[in-house]
Amino acid sequence: MSEKYMWVTCRTRMKRKCQNYESRLPDNTAVKQQQLPAFRLQLTASEILSGFFAIGLFCLGMGIILLLSAKSIKEVEINYTEKCATCAKLREEATNFDKECNCSISFYLPQKMEGNVYLYYKLYGFYQNLYRYILSRSNIQLVGADVKDVRNCAPFRTSDNGLPIAPCGAIANSMFNDTIVLWYNFNSSTHIRVPMVRTETAWWTDKYVKFQNPAFQNLSSAFAGTAKPPNWPKPVYELDENDPGNNGFINDDFIVWMRTAAFPNFKKLYRRLHRIGNFTEGLPAGSYSFIINYNFPVSRFQGQKAVVLSTLTWSGGSSLFLALTYVEP
Amino acid sequence: MFRRSLNRFCAGEEKRVGTRTVFVGNHPVSETEAYIAQKFCDNRIISSKYTLWNFLPKNLFEQFRRIANFYFLIIFLIQVTVDTPTSPITSGLPLFFVITVTAIKQGYEDWLRHRADNEVNKSTVYIIENAKRVKKESEKIKVGDIVEVQADETFPCDLILLSSCTVDGTCYVTTASLDGESNCKTHYAVRDTIELRTVESIDNLRAAIECEQPQPDLYKFVGRINIYSNSIEAVARSLGPENLLLKGATLKNTKKIYGVAVYTGMETKMALNYQGKSQKRSAVEKSINAFLIVYLFILLTKAAICTTLKYVWQSTPHNDEPWYNQKTQKERETWKVLKMFTDFLSFMVLFNFIIPVSMYVTVEMQKFLGSFFISWDNDFYDEEINEGALVNTSDLNEELGQNREELFLRALCLCHTVEVKPNDTVDGVTESSELTYMSSSPDEIALVKGAKKYGFTFVGVQNGYMRVENQRKEIEEYELLHTLNFDAVRRRMSVIVKTQTGDILLFCKGADSAVFPRVQNHEIDLIKVHVEHNAMEGYRTLCIAFKEIAPDDYERVNRQLIEAKMALQDREEKMEKVFDEIETDMHLIGATAVEDKLQDQAAETIEALHAAGLKVWVLTGDKMETAKSTCYACRLFQTNTELLELTTKTIEESERKEDRLHELLTEYRKKLLHEFPKSTRSLKKAWTEHQEYGLIIDGSTLSLILNSSQDSGSNNYKSIFLQICMKCTAVLCCRMAPLQKAQIVRMVKNLKGSPITLSIGDGANDVSMILESHVGIGIKGKEGRQASRNSDYAVPKFKHLKKLLLAHGHLYYVRIAHLVQYFFYKNLCFILPQFLYQFFCGFSQQPLYDAAYLTMYNICFTSLPILAYSLLEQHINIDTLTSDPRLYMKISGNAMLQLGPFLYWTFLAAFEGTVFFFGTYFLFQTTSLDENGKVYGNWTFGTIIFTILVFTVTLKLALDTRFWTWINHLVIWGSLAFYVFFSFFWGGIIWPFLKQQRMYFVFAQMLSSVSVWLTIILLIFVSLSPEMLRIVLRSVRRRSTRNPNLELPMLLSYKHIDSGYR
Repeated sequence: MSEKYMWVTCRTRMKRKCQNYESRLPDNTAVKQQQLPAFRLQLTASEILSGFFAIGLFCLGMGIILLLSAKSIKEVEINYTEKCATCAKLREEATNFDKECNCSISFYLPQKMEGNVYLYYKLYGFYQNLYRYILSRSNIQLVGADVKDVRNCAPFRTSDNGLPIAPCGAIANSMFNDTIVLWYNFNSSTHIRVPMVRTETAWWTDKYVKFQNPAFQNLSSAFAGTAKPPNWPKPVYELDENDPGNNGFINDDFIVWMRTAAFPNFKKLYRRLHRIGNFTEGLPAGSYSFIINYNFPVSRFQGQKAVVLSTLTWSGGSSLFLALTYVEP
Repeated sequence: MFRRSLNRFCAGEEKRVGTRTVFVGNHPVSETEAYIAQKFCDNRIISSKYTLWNFLPKNLFEQFRRIANFYFLIIFLIQVTVDTPTSPITSGLPLFFVITVTAIKQGYEDWLRHRADNEVNKSTVYIIENAKRVKKESEKIKVGDIVEVQADETFPCDLILLSSCTVDGTCYVTTASLDGESNCKTHYAVRDTIELRTVESIDNLRAAIECEQPQPDLYKFVGRINIYSNSIEAVARSLGPENLLLKGATLKNTKKIYGVAVYTGMETKMALNYQGKSQKRSAVEKSINAFLIVYLFILLTKAAICTTLKYVWQSTPHNDEPWYNQKTQKERETWKVLKMFTDFLSFMVLFNFIIPVSMYVTVEMQKFLGSFFISWDNDFYDEEINEGALVNTSDLNEELGQNREELFLRALCLCHTVEVKPNDTVDGVTESSELTYMSSSPDEIALVKGAKKYGFTFVGVQNGYMRVENQRKEIEEYELLHTLNFDAVRRRMSVIVKTQTGDILLFCKGADSAVFPRVQNHEIDLIKVHVEHNAMEGYRTLCIAFKEIAPDDYERVNRQLIEAKMALQDREEKMEKVFDEIETDMHLIGATAVEDKLQDQAAETIEALHAAGLKVWVLTGDKMETAKSTCYACRLFQTNTELLELTTKTIEESERKEDRLHELLTEYRKKLLHEFPKSTRSLKKAWTEHQEYGLIIDGSTLSLILNSSQDSGSNNYKSIFLQICMKCTAVLCCRMAPLQKAQIVRMVKNLKGSPITLSIGDGANDVSMILESHVGIGIKGKEGRQASRNSDYAVPKFKHLKKLLLAHGHLYYVRIAHLVQYFFYKNLCFILPQFLYQFFCGFSQQPLYDAAYLTMYNICFTSLPILAYSLLEQHINIDTLTSDPRLYMKISGNAMLQLGPFLYWTFLAAFEGTVFFFGTYFLFQTTSLDENGKVYGNWTFGTIIFTILVFTVTLKLALDTRFWTWINHLVIWGSLAFYVFFSFFWGGIIWPFLKQQRMYFVFAQMLSSVSVWLTIILLIFVSLSPEMLRIVLRSVRRRSTRNPNLELPMLLSYKHIDSGYR
């Protein structure tokens, strides 16, 4: 306490000199005073509810449209795991890889499938989304930059004799290699092979940018010094010998397979209907059969295989889920 | 920290005891005495923490001592060492960013400190050596050197003033950098050295200074100078703080001075005062830590679940190693337990985003930037002192919104008007005049001004004479012989003056209780009536007495006084004893009364705080009657408040004090318990409905209650007392010593439910209380700056407390609470789909989102909107907040961070995460999302979810934002636009540095599908619907409760405060 009294302070003259008379009033700006002009959002129940109903109405409309378009979609799925039991049995042993096995499945299409028809294969219980599996690929190799770059491809980097595998990695090695051919049984004696297009099933950017063959005149020489993946019956440059634009790394089937699926049950696009002759309108109603060259083993991991024929609308496949959820609110 | 290093550097602990002897100019005082050079530390100031060499290790060590940083470091190290699904960059980059920013900030601050140190240490000073002025660097000053300081220079170390260029050996000093007081103070040289104004003469001075070892109190100094002139016996003079020039202070209006260094370098009072204040932690921070533990638990559970299920799933061989995904040789050879452990770590890393680094960055930024709004607020500007509010800490902003239970305050009273009773005498004027116009006590200014009004003008002090102009415009001169300073124990002060006629008079001024026993009895009665009457009306009263001292007596008194002043040990006790002897047998002259005018709008402020559900305690040193009337004046007590008194008056009636106390305590408790049955859960409600009680307790009774704790069953007293306190609307504690105030704060802090305390005060005696409580607020009053220097926040006026708490406090709390909840919410939303995905990918730790998204989510896509929200949001208008204090109750008790809201946010996040995942999952069950039949892979799946996620959490914030400034618009829509832009960009190029081109055109391809668009819109809508429903329900409920609200009594004074406030 006592210090107060001891420190006799300056006389007024001095005081004026000592003190700083600059005003320290804070700036009167909107930001500093928290007075920024602002829209005060006051959501009332009626506003929210009317917004709610507006969105609900929109959803209902969308849902009805989606439902109607989903109704027009025709889809046929044929699971051939059971139907080709003998082939499945054969493929359970890895040693039988060189033995051919064909399997025929007949079915009847009660209504014609109009417009573009797409052929999918579907796998059940195949985990394309395993962590190590997804990593096991070499993009440098696939983009054609260095065919011998197999760094990230473990455990399918090199063949037994030490050559780098092209295309390396678990994804490429496990490529789906059944051949599926659809026959139209016009009548009991006439069987017409349904014309299918094998290209334009992959993303455009994948086919023309992300996947590139190594630059060589001759494709087979481009892959000289590499080995085929152990599960493949033939090397990558023989995937489609008829069409150089669909051979090697830029083979559509290969690219489609390389885009790993999100779930263990997945479909992948296999062929598109070539709309000529009898099939200009789509697939006519009638009797059909699939001839399947059964190569891909699924019973080893207790999986299943199916073929799917489907038409599509502007919103894609039969998105009954989307339609229903849209109708719901 | 400082102390410790100091001790290592300089003297050991044992040297601190006792005194130090300093030889002026380092000359031995006499040839016979051997000159023993004592070792003192040099004048180098080291305030920096780091050197160039130890910066990196030391800084990193300090940063990783924080739990959060350490956690992220561990995660990062796991990512580097163990083969994990996410790249180390995803957590390393944000951590690196945080650490680097902090390190740069701290490095820069340290560099500034280095520079400031260097500036101080290398600055040139002039030292007198061998009768010459020698130029030296400041750090070379040794204890005992004579230093010359010129006008406007700062003192390089603590100096004892020897002489100045003025005749009377005074100099003016401003200590603005030390304690913030910008006015000039006068310091004196010892009388015997005043004449030494030249280099030669000062060099010839042979003297030794004995003084205490350095101690941090700026206002205390005890020393003695022994001057040996011409081999006559040494002359001893006492030295006090008025002779000491502190390092850091600046010389003003004096050309130059000579001084001798007594404390140097780290031993100066400035350096000793330089120490960090203890960290106060806010309730919000504690909640964050609690949530952190919950989320850490969730994280560990998730990782454990996934690891367990992974091994359950892998127990079937075709799942463990299907032909298409064979193990590498290394994997097969790894020991299974180790594998399990690394799997566990990998899962932890995969889910670690649930506890985001960026939250800490955002919270820090919010606090730092947000605190500017307080110091920027124009409403806190006060013209009189030309200053606005001051924020000393930014860690507690939100705590201002949390003062639930108690609020302590003192010193409502700053005199603005003065009234002096006409029975004041001429002598009374002289008496008070000595105390100057610039005294730090407002009372004294009041008295001097009052005297002037009655015709006696204090002209000033000249050569030890005080000059007073009387009513006839004649100057009367009084020689000032001694000042017997005021202290809180004596509660009085005296001066001894010699009149022009040669009479020696003693005038004494003090509290009535301090003066009455010391005057002749018969004089008391008349004045006592006046005094008590005045005290009842809320005036601060002082009594004035005088006595004539015979010349012989004066000789004796003089000798005693000088002896006491010279004493090095126990000086204060000795002085007190002498004073006590002198101030006896006086004649009462009269009494003064000073009106304590309440500060502007004090009553309204108190009323508002009351209405806000705060419990107000008044702790004051004033006497009971004064304090009581103040409480009435500021409407703390209303006319219908029943007062319970626990004072010496009520207790001393009986012989056994303790018994009486016990009796009273139990009686009061009974009364209160009867009034508030135990079932009353909400005290706040009870207050409005029941009879109000006020408690008055004084210092001595309080110590009786607190100190009786040694006896058995004494604890009882304390607990009964606290029970009573909790039930009372207002508590008034009068006659409190500063330490008792802090004691009360501590007591209340430890109450059940640990209420949050806020102290506000303006005086040096409030400092201990301010430091003790959760939030300390200082008023930048007229009584010095100690309070505001030690406070967390300082405001110019008491009335500013209202806006500080009700508006700023409320807003900060809401903002940061929302920030914290939102952060945990958005990260749970983010990581839950990732967790669910593990069930579909064979628990293989496959990340759902691309690494870039994982990294950028918290840093870029969702950080700015919440930061803007947490800085700008005003869910209720500031004006409404200040005018309706009841709103404050809504957030009391950390309401927004309790279990309920936390569970709501957590469930909302869980719901949304599930909707995102399964909504998209069902979408993927359809044949094709593309009209051309092309199929999408796992990265598209993740990107769809991520897009929905970013939009949902941002729109959720938009729904919560009530105050849309252009900044909010910019950051919310900007963040979304940036996300879209970034995704196109990230997927648009084959990035040469990436091993995997996973995201190549994924985003663009995704947007080409109509189904995906529809899904995104639908799922955002579904995710937000619970939130919208909540808004609907709330507004419906609000409408239904609106009518009863109107019936609640409105506090009368608000209307006009509002108009007067702006």
